[in-house]
Amino acid sequence: MTQQTWDEVGGLLPHDEFRTASEAIVTNIEQVIEGKTATVRLALAVLLAEGHLLIEDVPGVGKTKLAKALARSIDCSVRRIQFTPDLLPSDVTGVSVYNQETHDFEFRPGAVFANLVVGDEINRASPKTQSALLECMEERQVTVDGVTYQLQTPFMVIATQNPIEMEGTYPLPEAQRDRFTARIAMGYPGQAAELAMLDGHGATDPLQELRPVSDAATVRQLIAHVRQVHVADAVKQYAIDLVTATREAPELRLGASPRATLQLLRTARAVAALEGRDYVLPDDLQALAVPVMAHRIIPTADAQLARRTTDAIVSDLVHRLPLPHDRQRSPYDTRPSAGNGRPPYEPRRP
Amino acid sequence: MTAHRNLGFVAAVATLLASAPLSAIFERWTWLLQSAVAVAAVAGAAALARLVRAPLWGQVLGMLAGLLLALTWLFPGGTGLAALVPTPATFDHFGALLNASVEDMRSYGVKVPDTDPLLFIAVLGIGSVAVMVDLLAVGLRRPALAGLPMLAVYSVPVAIYVDSVPAVPFVVGAAGYLWLLVTDNIDRVRRFGRRFTGEGRDVDVWEASPLAAAGRRLAVVGVALAIAVPLAVPGMSGGLLNQLSSGAGNGTGGFGQGGAPGRIDLFASLSGQLNQSQVTDFVKVTTNEEEPFYLRYGVADQLSPEGFSVRSPSGRPVTQDLPDPSQGVRPGVEQRQYRATVEVTRNLTMPLLPTYAEPVRTEDLSGNWLYDRNLQVLFSNRENSRGKSYTFDYVRSTYTPAVLREAAPLPAENELRRRYTITPPVREVEQLVTELIQGARTEYDKVRAIYDHFSAENGFSYRLSTEGGTSGQDVVDFLENKVGFCQQYAAAMAWLVRAAGIPARVAFGFTNGSDREGNTYTLTNRNLHAWTEVYFDRIGWVPFDATPTYGVQGWNRSEWAPDTDAPEPTTPGAETPVTPDDPGASAPANQPDQLEEDVDPGFDPAGGAPIDEAPRWPWWTLAVLAVLALLAVPALRRWSLRRRRGRRVAVPVPAPRVDSDADPAAGARPVVVGVDVDQARAHAHAAWDELLDTLVDYRVRVDRTETPRATADRLAADALTGDESATAAVRLLGRAEERARYARDPLTGEDLPPALHTVRGALAGRADRRTRLTAAVLPPSVLLRWRTALAESSARVVTTSGRLRYHLLRWNPRRLIAGRAGR
Repeated sequence: MTQQTWDEVGGLLPHDEFRTASEAIVTNIEQVIEGKTATVRLALAVLLAEGHLLIEDVPGVGKTKLAKALARSIDCSVRRIQFTPDLLPSDVTGVSVYNQETHDFEFRPGAVFANLVVGDEINRASPKTQSALLECMEERQVTVDGVTYQLQTPFMVIATQNPIEMEGTYPLPEAQRDRFTARIAMGYPGQAAELAMLDGHGATDPLQELRPVSDAATVRQLIAHVRQVHVADAVKQYAIDLVTATREAPELRLGASPRATLQLLRTARAVAALEGRDYVLPDDLQALAVPVMAHRIIPTADAQLARRTTDAIVSDLVHRLPLPHDRQRSPYDTRPSAGNGRPPYEPRRP
Repeated sequence: MTAHRNLGFVAAVATLLASAPLSAIFERWTWLLQSAVAVAAVAGAAALARLVRAPLWGQVLGMLAGLLLALTWLFPGGTGLAALVPTPATFDHFGALLNASVEDMRSYGVKVPDTDPLLFIAVLGIGSVAVMVDLLAVGLRRPALAGLPMLAVYSVPVAIYVDSVPAVPFVVGAAGYLWLLVTDNIDRVRRFGRRFTGEGRDVDVWEASPLAAAGRRLAVVGVALAIAVPLAVPGMSGGLLNQLSSGAGNGTGGFGQGGAPGRIDLFASLSGQLNQSQVTDFVKVTTNEEEPFYLRYGVADQLSPEGFSVRSPSGRPVTQDLPDPSQGVRPGVEQRQYRATVEVTRNLTMPLLPTYAEPVRTEDLSGNWLYDRNLQVLFSNRENSRGKSYTFDYVRSTYTPAVLREAAPLPAENELRRRYTITPPVREVEQLVTELIQGARTEYDKVRAIYDHFSAENGFSYRLSTEGGTSGQDVVDFLENKVGFCQQYAAAMAWLVRAAGIPARVAFGFTNGSDREGNTYTLTNRNLHAWTEVYFDRIGWVPFDATPTYGVQGWNRSEWAPDTDAPEPTTPGAETPVTPDDPGASAPANQPDQLEEDVDPGFDPAGGAPIDEAPRWPWWTLAVLAVLALLAVPALRRWSLRRRRGRRVAVPVPAPRVDSDADPAAGARPVVVGVDVDQARAHAHAAWDELLDTLVDYRVRVDRTETPRATADRLAADALTGDESATAAVRLLGRAEERARYARDPLTGEDLPPALHTVRGALAGRADRRTRLTAAVLPPSVLLRWRTALAESSARVVTTSGRLRYHLLRWNPRRLIAGRAGR
């Protein structure tokens, strides 16, 4: 279980190597999931941003397939957990068992001890079991019987859940949802993609034929590369503006957490890197705002009554929020610095 | 209890504030001081009574006692015990004061001097009002009703001044009343419990409640309306508006409006009226006297270094008997009674009525008109002359020089002589007088010597366009320059006669004018005149008109004061005298007469005629050019902005060496050699700013939530569809700006100005003609920027003033009071 630290991973990948490696993974997955390049890239971006992915959609659109394809494309340890109502936390984290030979307790690692953990139908397990993931997802460690075990790097939880069927399910608690970097929906494939799917899946299962195109070491290098992507101050300010807007939005009961800010920026880095840029654009943040923030916020009762989805609320915010004054005023710019956002003077309470 | 004490204090101060209108009546402020003492006594007594929890009637008794003590102390009359405790004799004294006050009210015109009876009644009134206000506001908690006694105070000057009362005392009084109301209400709310605001927070005791803001605004608007509305009502002219307008025009010669005969500057109004280019009928007088001397309405008999001035007349109603002029008159003075009817037109408004000297009986005049027997003028404190029509009998005295010569000098201690010979010492005048009266034996000879001095022989001439002052220096100047008009002649002669120790004064009135039909004379503003009156013992006031006759239409000279310029003393004939020097005298009064030749043409509107004929077109051209220049400002600004940005963008950029030929957008970082990164960034920004301004100019939407990339994409998709080069150009600009903003290294090596030019051309090509024209002439980008700057600065002002107000609120007296009370 020894692994390289980030320092040992070494320097940056050259650009073209990053491109090659990342494109290879994307192309590989696309052999299984047709016509969903953006989703696939986002999933990869979450991996490179050291985050966790929640795939939420109706049954049969390929949630599990995406998770497994991503796992298979990378030559690393993969575990799959089928969350069922009777699943126990120890099944997830591991358990100490008595070894009669050594006359000692021995730790049997659970399913999370892998690079990629695919949690299927995560909302079918009881909250007790769901909570077992809390520590490992955020802190990348497992504590059993007072002993802390580090998890491997990269570590990513890809969970799926079904939003339609509510019977016998336990909605994810807020703390758990906040640990997922992004929530994505698969969506139905286009007609052409569906036709290609029929052709491809008719004879054999392409998943079986999928060969790894990358390994854990490469992924670690990719992650290191992503960490070097430049984020201008203006972009950071924009990220802060965005999460602040969710906190101040009147139709939201709960806004995005600081963790959301962090993960928003990380994912934006990964997306920028995947697009071949070495700097993040506000466009990246705008594109990621819904997947990264929508599942963390809770609308007010009024907004729920008005059938406003969180996706729509976040999307509206993005369209309403002006870009921050994002640069040193150029000496030739005589535009007034319109509204610095500070509210007019408010007298203090005596 | 604290609140009650506060309310009592406010009631007292409000009473004093409400008495402010009395300032229009009194000459000095003694009344206010004494009233303050009385009100303080009342308020103190009330507070004491409440301290011992006396019932309401006890409070009232206490307050009355306080008022009584204050009155006893203020108006002692030597009757009170220890100067404070009233005795029965004190009440007798008060009764005497009351009776005397009635008499004083009749005899004095406003503004009244400080006489004990008047002060007594004022203090008594204000003290009583204070008692009632305290009773209503504190005792009964009906402060709104307290307005009634306050209104009673206000009605005093209203009754005296017919037309209007100055606005400022009204505002002061209203402020006092409103303060009382506000204090009572705050007290009420405080008893109720917490004070609410619209902001959902508690209000501190000292703080003005935001909910009350509407009330405050209503109060201000109400007071403003109460002042403004009367100005708009036509029937109530003569108030603030007239005072303002007459104050604005210099020397247009408005008379006093009525109500205050003592306040008119007769000199100023006289010269003002004479200088009017327009001829206005003032008076129509019919008399059965053959050749009447001048109609007379006013007298200036107070002489100070500043010159002659008018004093407040005092007298008795004309309905009572007027003094008989024939009493005590030296034999030889011929006296005849005549009858005259005067119609004053609506153009003449003053608190005085013109009469012939000396009236003995009047008809058609109410008791509001008073006769001052010393000044021999009819005046009123309440009415004015406008449109008045009346008849009176008068006694005309004529004198012969012989009779006048008999008059002995008045003894030096004679009251009249003392009063009317007060003369400020002016060395030149005294020298001249000594010189003139040398050798004159009788009083009349002295006066004649002075009178004869003002002759053409001595170089005196008439001109209207001189300064009309009568101060010592003015008189000396006049005596040297020897050029002037009636008021200078009259004042100078009166001054000289006074200097000779003979009582003299200046009288004002009308000459007989030039428009005569039978016995009816129509007198205009041009016929206004001033002359000198000299007092002779046991004869009375004798008129002398020293003004050269050619300057006076309808002049009248007498045997005892003949025309000094005539070859020999003549008595004027039956007809209106027309001298060769005065050809215009017979001309109709509404024709411009000869006097105007003497008048400085500058004041005459006709003198402005050449200006009218001057070519106007240069001005029009200038104006049009100015407007055009003004209109061109935005376009010029836009042009200079574009040029500046273009110059910056076009700075030659050394070709950067890019490693490999990788597309910069593909992530390959160009290695920049010799290019200032900041400068490249600035270039990109300048180009982008220019692009945004161009978009605004051509009315393409600019979205502040859009990134440069999104903006470029949108433009490529919407505004520039199908134009390959423009699409590429706008994407290039977007990429340059994006990299300048967000990347480590800006885009270099691209030529932005041509791209800008392309995009601009494409946008202009797609815009309609009107948009293009607007973009060229009044670029919306510049206008928008100015508007935003304006809005920003005003917002800044609002913020600053809000902050200032907050800081000032810390020193709010109410806060300090509340803090003290809280402790």
